[in-house]
Amino acid sequence: MENMLGLPPLASVHGAGIDRLLGWVHWLMAVLFVGWGIYFIYTVIRFRSARQPKADYVGVTSHYSSYIEGGVALFEAILLIGLALPIWATVKNDFPEESQATVVRVVSEQFAWNIHYPGADGIFGKTSLDLLDAETNPLGLDRSDPYAQDDITTINQLHLPVNKPVIIHLTSKDVIHSFGLPEMRVKQDAIPGMSIPVWFIPTLTTAELREIKEDPNVTFEIACAQLCGLGHYRMRGFLTVETQEEFDAWLAEEAAAQQEEAGDDDWW
Amino acid sequence: MSTHGDHQEMSFWRKYIFSQDHKIIGLQYGITALFFLLAGFTMMMMMRWQLAYPGQPVPFIGGLLGEDNAPGGIILPEFYNQLGAMHGTIMIFLGVVPLAVGAFGNYIVPLQIGAPDMAFPKINMTSYWAYFLGGVIMMVSFFVPGGAANSGWTSYPPLADIATMGQTFWLFGMIFLITSSLLGSINFITTIIQLRVKGLTWMRLPFFVWAQLVTAFLLLLAFPSLEAAGVLQLMDRLLGTSFFLPSGLVVSGQILEVSGGGSPLLWQHLFWFLAHPEVYVLILPAMGIVAEVIATNTRKPLWGYKSMVYSTIFLGFMSFVVWAHHMYLTGMGTAISAFFQTTTMIISIPSVVILTALLLSLWGGSIRFTTPMLFALGFLPMFAIGGLTGLPLGLAAADIPLHDTYYVIGHFHYIVAPGTIFALFAGIYHWYPKITGRQLSETLGKVHFWGSMVFMNGIFMPMFVQGLAGVSRRLWDAGEQYAHASGVLWTNEWMSISAWLLFVFQLPFIYNILRSLRGPKVESDNPWQATTLEWATTSPPGHGNFATPPVVYRGAYEYSVPGHEADFLPQNQPEKG
Amino acid sequence: MRNLIKLAMTLSVLLLASQILLAGGDIKGRINFKGSGPKPRAIKMAADPVCKVAHSEPVYSQSVVVNENATLRYVMVSIESGLEGQTFPVPEEPVVLDQNGCMYDPHVWGAMAGQTVEIRNSDGTLHNVHSLSKVNRQFNMAMPKIVKKKNKVFDKPEDIFAIKCDVHPWMRCWVGIFSHPFYSVSDDQGDFTLKDVPAGTYTVRAWHESKRLLAQTQTITVKEGETITLDFTFEAPTRK
Repeated sequence: MENMLGLPPLASVHGAGIDRLLGWVHWLMAVLFVGWGIYFIYTVIRFRSARQPKADYVGVTSHYSSYIEGGVALFEAILLIGLALPIWATVKNDFPEESQATVVRVVSEQFAWNIHYPGADGIFGKTSLDLLDAETNPLGLDRSDPYAQDDITTINQLHLPVNKPVIIHLTSKDVIHSFGLPEMRVKQDAIPGMSIPVWFIPTLTTAELREIKEDPNVTFEIACAQLCGLGHYRMRGFLTVETQEEFDAWLAEEAAAQQEEAGDDDWW
Repeated sequence: MSTHGDHQEMSFWRKYIFSQDHKIIGLQYGITALFFLLAGFTMMMMMRWQLAYPGQPVPFIGGLLGEDNAPGGIILPEFYNQLGAMHGTIMIFLGVVPLAVGAFGNYIVPLQIGAPDMAFPKINMTSYWAYFLGGVIMMVSFFVPGGAANSGWTSYPPLADIATMGQTFWLFGMIFLITSSLLGSINFITTIIQLRVKGLTWMRLPFFVWAQLVTAFLLLLAFPSLEAAGVLQLMDRLLGTSFFLPSGLVVSGQILEVSGGGSPLLWQHLFWFLAHPEVYVLILPAMGIVAEVIATNTRKPLWGYKSMVYSTIFLGFMSFVVWAHHMYLTGMGTAISAFFQTTTMIISIPSVVILTALLLSLWGGSIRFTTPMLFALGFLPMFAIGGLTGLPLGLAAADIPLHDTYYVIGHFHYIVAPGTIFALFAGIYHWYPKITGRQLSETLGKVHFWGSMVFMNGIFMPMFVQGLAGVSRRLWDAGEQYAHASGVLWTNEWMSISAWLLFVFQLPFIYNILRSLRGPKVESDNPWQATTLEWATTSPPGHGNFATPPVVYRGAYEYSVPGHEADFLPQNQPEKG
Repeated sequence: MRNLIKLAMTLSVLLLASQILLAGGDIKGRINFKGSGPKPRAIKMAADPVCKVAHSEPVYSQSVVVNENATLRYVMVSIESGLEGQTFPVPEEPVVLDQNGCMYDPHVWGAMAGQTVEIRNSDGTLHNVHSLSKVNRQFNMAMPKIVKKKNKVFDKPEDIFAIKCDVHPWMRCWVGIFSHPFYSVSDDQGDFTLKDVPAGTYTVRAWHESKRLLAQTQTITVKEGETITLDFTFEAPTRK
C-alpha cells in the first residue's frame, strides 16, 4: 500500500516504519470505505421507494455491524500498540550517543534556517544575544570562546553524512517554525524558548536521490511546515546527504573559509 | 418568557430587528451566517486563484483589492495570509456554527420539544447581537493598517503576538463571538431540560435535539478556555505582558523588548482545548439534521436510536480529552502522546457507531430521493472520508509526514464542507416549508446537489494526493519552488476550477431560496409527512408556536408502524381508543 | 480639493525656499579612519541559489568598509540642528532603493519626509522589505519575484533606522528621513558633500552603523557662496 500512496522517496531508517504504518492505516480506511460504499450503493438502489413502497418498521436485525465495529476497534488497537507507539518511542527515546552521531544545532528565524556545527572539538561554542548581528553573526556566536573557534555556521545549507545517526538540536529565535524533511520522514516544530532534539539516520545520498528522480539538480529540502509569516512559503533550506568522505571534505572547506575570516573581532 | 395570546402589535424594530422570538432570531442567525459563508467562500476563491496561477493578477475583482494587498491585482503573501486566517475564522465561527446552532438550533429545537420559545428570550437576542458585532469587528479588520489577522485561524503566538493590528481586532471579535456562544449554550441547555412538553421523555427526543444538547454543553465547557486565552493574548499585545512569549526572542535581528518567561505552547493547549470540541460542535448538529432527514425519507425509525444517543454523549465527553493530538510535533514525549493517541482512537469508535447506525437505517426503508435526502445521503460517504482520514493523523508516528500538509486540510474539509455544510443544506431544504410555508424547487435543488457533490470532491480529493507527497499547507505559491511538490502541483488548477464551478452551482440555490419566497403556499403544514413536533403546528408557526401545548405519546420516529394505515405516526397523535 | 491644497502648499514652500536657497554654500569633507577595520566577512549567498548565481565573486559585508585611502565608507553626514523653523521643498523625483543580487543598493541612504521611495526588486526571488522605523509606521511587505517595484513614503522625519529582508537575513540597509535635503553618505573615497546649505551656523553629525563607532558632531558656520571643508576622523575601537 505504501507504494501506492505517492509518498516522497524514503531516505531514513525509521521512515520505513512510518511508511508501513501509513500503509496499514490506509488499508483499513480503504477496506472500510469500500465496504460501506458497496453496502450504501446497493441499499439506496434496492430500497428506493419505487421498488419498496412500504418500509420495514424493524429494519436490520443481525448484529454484524457490532462485529464490524468491534473489528475496527481491534484493528486500531493493533495499529496503535503494534506500530504507532513503538515507532514514536524510537523517534523520541532511542537517541544514539552524541559521540556516535553527527550533532548539529538548527536555529530557525523568519525566514531562514541557521545551521551550526560544533567543529572538530565536538562542542558548540557559546552564543550570546549581545553579539547577535543579522548581517554577520546571526547566531550571536562568541568567537572569543575557545570552543567556538572551530564552529561552522551556514544559512539554509545542511550537510550530513549518510548511514550515520544525526542529532539535531532544534530551536527558534522568533516564532514557531516547523523543521520538515519530507524524504527523511522528519518533522518537528521549532519553538522559541525550547530546544528540542530530533534524531534520524539518513540512508539515501543526494546523488542517489538524483538518480531516483532522474533530475541532476534535485536536492533534499528543508520545508518550513508551520505558518511563520509572509515569507513562510519561501522558508526553504537545502539538505545534502553525502558519503562520510564528501562530508568531511565539505566541512573542512567551510572550516577553512570561516577560519580565514574568524579572528577576534566579533565585538566590532 | 412570552406567553401566547399577547398578540399586540409590535413595532418593526421590536418584531424583526431586536426580536426576542426564537424564530426571528433563528432567521437572523441563518441569514447572517449564509452571508458569512458566502464571504468566506469568496476569500477561498481568491486564494484558489493564487494557488492555481501563482503571481498572476486576479481577474475581475483584482483591481478592487487595494494597492497594499494586491498591487496590479496580484495577491501578495501578506494578503494571502489574511485571506487564509479569515477564511478559517469566518467559515467556522461566523458561518457554520451560527448556522448549525444559532439558526437551526434556535428555530427548530423549541418547536421539536413543543416549547413556545427559548427559556431566556432576552439572552437569546443578546447572543445574536454579540455574534453580529463580532462579525462586524472581523470584517472591519480588513481595513485597518496591515489588514486583517494573518497568523492563521489558530493564531499561534509568538507570531500572533507580534502581528499587525488586525490580530487585536480578531481577538476582540472572538471575545464577542465566544460570549455569544456561551449565552446561547446556557439557553439551549435550560430550554431542552426545562421546556419539553408533557410526555416528551429523554428517549423520545428527536436525535437533533440530543445533538444540540450535547453541542451546547461542548460550547459551554470548551469556549471559556479560548476566551481566557484570547484575553491573555490581548494583554500580551496591548499591555506588555508575556504570557505566550519566552525570554530572549529576536525578531528581524532585533531583541524583542518584553519581560519574557511565557510559553508559546500554553496558547496551543488553551486553543485546542476549545478547538477540538469545536469540531464536534460543527459535526453533531449536522448529524442531527441528517438523522431527521433520513428517518423522514426512509419512512422508518432510525436504526439504533439509543446507541446513537449514547454515542453522542460519549463523543461529547471524549472530545475534551483528545485536544493535544493537534500538538504531537511540539516536542511531546511518549507517555503523553500515548494517552492522546489512545483517546483519539477511542473517539473514532462512537463516530463509527453513529455513521453505521445512519447507514443501517437505510436498510428496509422506502427511500424517497427528495433534495434534502440527497444531501443527507451525500453527507454519509463524505463524512466517512473525513473521519477515516483522521485516523493516520491521530497516530503520532503517521502524523509526522502528514502534519501541516494538505492532507490535514483535505481531512477537516471533508468533515466540514461536504460533511457539515451538506447537512446544513439538507436542513434548509427540509425545513424551508416549515419556516416559510412554501416549497423549494426540487429541480433546482437537484442541480444544486449534484453540482456541489462533484465539485466539492474536485476541490478536496486532490488535497490528499498533495498531502501524501508532502506539500505543506499555507504556502502562498502552493509549493511551486519545492522539488517534492513538483509532481502534484498540476492538480491545483483542477481544484481551483472546481472551486469556481462549485460557486456557479450555488447560484441555483440562492435563486431557489429567493424565488420560492413568492412561490405557492404548501398545501399541508406537514408536507414531508414527518412525525416530530415542529410539523404539528402551522407553517410558519405563529407567535408562541403552538395554539395549545402538544402532548407527546411516543418516540420521535414512528414511521411505517405495523397495523397502521398511514406510514407515519406523529408524536402528538393520541392512541386510538 | 486635496490637490488644490497640495498645490498651494507646494507653491508657498517653493517661494519660501527660493528666498533661502539663493544664499547658500557647500559643505565638503572626508571621513578619515585610523586603524584597521574588522576582517571582511563573506556573505553566505549559498542560502538562496538565486542569490548565489547572481555573484561570481564572494560578496563581503558592508557594515564596516574601510577604503584603500584610509577613509570610512557608508557614513551618513547630515545637519543635525540649526535649520529649525525652515521648510524645504520635497523633491519630485523618487529615491531608489534596489534589491539586487540579494544586497541593498544603496547600503546607507536618506530621503526627505514625504519623498517617494521607489523600492525595486531586481532579483528572481522573494524579498520582504521590513522597515524597523519607530516614528514612521513600521511596515513589512513582501516583494515576490514578480513584484518588481513598489512605492513607499515616509511621512515624518526620523533618525536613522534599519530596513531588513528577513528571507535573506544578511540584507540590511540604513535610512535616515530628514526634514531638509542636507545629508550625504561617504563614498568609496570617504568623501561627502552637502550642497547649497543656507548661510548660518549648524551642528553637523557623522553617523556610522557600527555600535562601536559613536556618532560625532561639529559646529560650523556657512557663509554665502563659500565652500567649507569639514573632515571627521573615526578610530578603530579597542576591545572593552
